[in-house]
Amino acid sequence: MGNSSSSQKISAQDRAILDLKNQRDKLHQYQRRITVLTDRETEIAKECLARDDRRRALLALRRKKYQESLLAKTDGQLAQLEQLTGQVEFALVQKDVLFGLQQGTKVLQTINKEMGGIEGVERLMGETEDARAYQEEVSQMLAGHLTNQDEDEVEDELEALQRELAGPEILPDDVVLPSPPTADLPVEEPVLESSKRTKAKAETRTALPAT
Amino acid sequence: MTTTPPFPFPPTYNFPPFFTPQPNTTTRHAQLEKWSSLIQSWCRHHRQYRLSLIDAVESPLFHNTALRKRLDLREARAVVDWMTKSEEEGGGGRRAEWIPDGPKTVAWIWWRRPEEWADVLVDWVEGTGQKGSVLTVYELIHGEGAMSQEFHGMDTDVMLRSLNVLVKRGRAQIFGGEGQEGVKFF
Repeated sequence: MGNSSSSQKISAQDRAILDLKNQRDKLHQYQRRITVLTDRETEIAKECLARDDRRRALLALRRKKYQESLLAKTDGQLAQLEQLTGQVEFALVQKDVLFGLQQGTKVLQTINKEMGGIEGVERLMGETEDARAYQEEVSQMLAGHLTNQDEDEVEDELEALQRELAGPEILPDDVVLPSPPTADLPVEEPVLESSKRTKAKAETRTALPAT
Repeated sequence: MTTTPPFPFPPTYNFPPFFTPQPNTTTRHAQLEKWSSLIQSWCRHHRQYRLSLIDAVESPLFHNTALRKRLDLREARAVVDWMTKSEEEGGGGRRAEWIPDGPKTVAWIWWRRPEEWADVLVDWVEGTGQKGSVLTVYELIHGEGAMSQEFHGMDTDVMLRSLNVLVKRGRAQIFGGEGQEGVKFF
């Protein structure tokens, strides 16, 4: 007690429940007292009868009857108190459940927000699909699935390489190689015109005076 | 209340020298230990938490009518005094405690020390799923829920001391007014 840090753990509801339970305990104690009294009244009545005192025996029995009615009343009150206590405790549990649900929803919402909404997810999924298709293409290419055209080109390249390596010896006979021309060069007659042109070119090339 | 079956006395109870203080230290120590365990099991049997020596010297505990041997008040007090001391002091492991007000005539007999009771309470509370709920001290002692428990009908002071052990450990909190204390277990 008096420990401020730990007394904070006791809420107003706890105090209310304690009050209810204390009330119930008091009723319990009261019932115990009444039970003891009724037992005593029966004994008194018996004793009075033994002494042949009818009037007092009746009185004791009447008192007993009255106390028994009290007992029945307290039973009802006790039931009510216990019901209320139970309801309060259950409401507290419900409150906890609600709190838990709230927390869970909040966390779920935050996570969803972090994922950027439905469009974000769609976009991401589209991008993933593209990337996947691209990856598929690359891997197919790497795996050597070449087209017919590619195949032809490869064949040609191989032939060219072989040719290069082997040199001209292994050329097939039917290939006609070009031969140097045997005919005489044609005699050029109109020389004048061309020399004139060169002259004109030389004139234009005169140096300009330095400024 | 149901009548308790008779207390089964240990064999040493019918051994006359048991009732005479032994001069030899080793024998004396053994004797005190036997007395301590006898007093503890007697109190446990009768669900007694405090022992009034004045009453007890007349009871079969200290008075063997068959042998016509008894432990007088002074001797009984010596035994309980030994029980109050810790083992380091050469005593009986604090299995008793004099109730402060008045002369040394009434003592708590710890056949279960408050710390041990605290463990029993915690086990019960956890076993019955009552952690976090509010219970009245009256309910713990006299309630119908704890009817079959060992602490049913316990001395209120002992109960409060045991609960205070739990408060110190941070496992419980006592609140509410005097005589209407409630306790919340964590």
